Amino acid sequence: MTNDQAAPAAVKILIAGGFGVGKTTLVGSVSEVTPLRTEEYLTKASVGVDSLDGVGGKDTTTVALDFGRITISPELVVYLFGTPGQERFWFMWNDLVQGVLGGVVIADTRRLESSFASIDFYESREIPFVVAINCFDGVNTRSEIEIRTALDLDPHVPVLVGDVRTRTFARDVLLALVDHLMAPALV
Amino acid sequence: MNAHWSEDDFEYGDDGADSMVRPYTITRGRTMPERDDLTLITVLSTVASAIVPGRRLQPEHRLILDRCRYPAAVAEVAADLNLPVSVTKILLGDLIAQGLLTARPPLAVAKVSGGVDLALLTAVRDGLRRL
Repeated sequence: MTNDQAAPAAVKILIAGGFGVGKTTLVGSVSEVTPLRTEEYLTKASVGVDSLDGVGGKDTTTVALDFGRITISPELVVYLFGTPGQERFWFMWNDLVQGVLGGVVIADTRRLESSFASIDFYESREIPFVVAINCFDGVNTRSEIEIRTALDLDPHVPVLVGDVRTRTFARDVLLALVDHLMAPALV
Repeated sequence: MNAHWSEDDFEYGDDGADSMVRPYTITRGRTMPERDDLTLITVLSTVASAIVPGRRLQPEHRLILDRCRYPAAVAEVAADLNLPVSVTKILLGDLIAQGLLTARPPLAVAKVSGGVDLALLTAVRDGLRRL
């Protein structure tokens, strides 16, 4: 059978972080398409009855995922998925982690605690990640050491500080992740 | 929820926003995909030589076949069709079963599959540097 066009291989990078921290903004800064949104139902049937505690009384609700893409070559596409940080969505990550190269945690120095769930997730799944401190208005109120301590990061986890609205910073975050993945300790 | 109206469990608003009725009408009531190997970034391609049957396909099936003449990931198809991922996967499964669509799974890059592939990472790094 022949196709009009051979399918490229696909990998993904996850962009996690608390609500409103700039996940979709980072995706949009480097994606070749305006970030797309897709929705998935969360049903009691799909997650087990107990797993939706806190979501509400409805039997179903939806979770939105924003994503973009970077075509590396005709043979290779990298998808970037903004990923809800809340633990109650973690069941979805069984799909999200398929083909994952690594992850980014976006953190806001004014509320670092909103990043804890994302970091826990990556660590529990042994997904290598980097931390991008999103400096709103270009103001960084805390030192890198303070941030590392507050987030309880392993020393080898790269931390970058910048504005995720800029293409260069967003690109540098992804490059730092790839360099991190190529580092001898992880290979 | 009006707990004293038990039939509320079966009645949904006209806009469909709060129900699963409309999307799962498209799948003729099926709520689970027949295959569980489709992921968000499984890439789909319409088989060029396939003969599309005149009947038995929903309009959404045809939209998918048009869309996937250029390979697209499950998530992209779902976003384009404005359908939930789970509904999209059911429709994609129909087309794969009929030989109209091929699916390419994501590259296995997880630790369990032997660690990172340096050639892959080098390609990604070079691609990112061109941004």
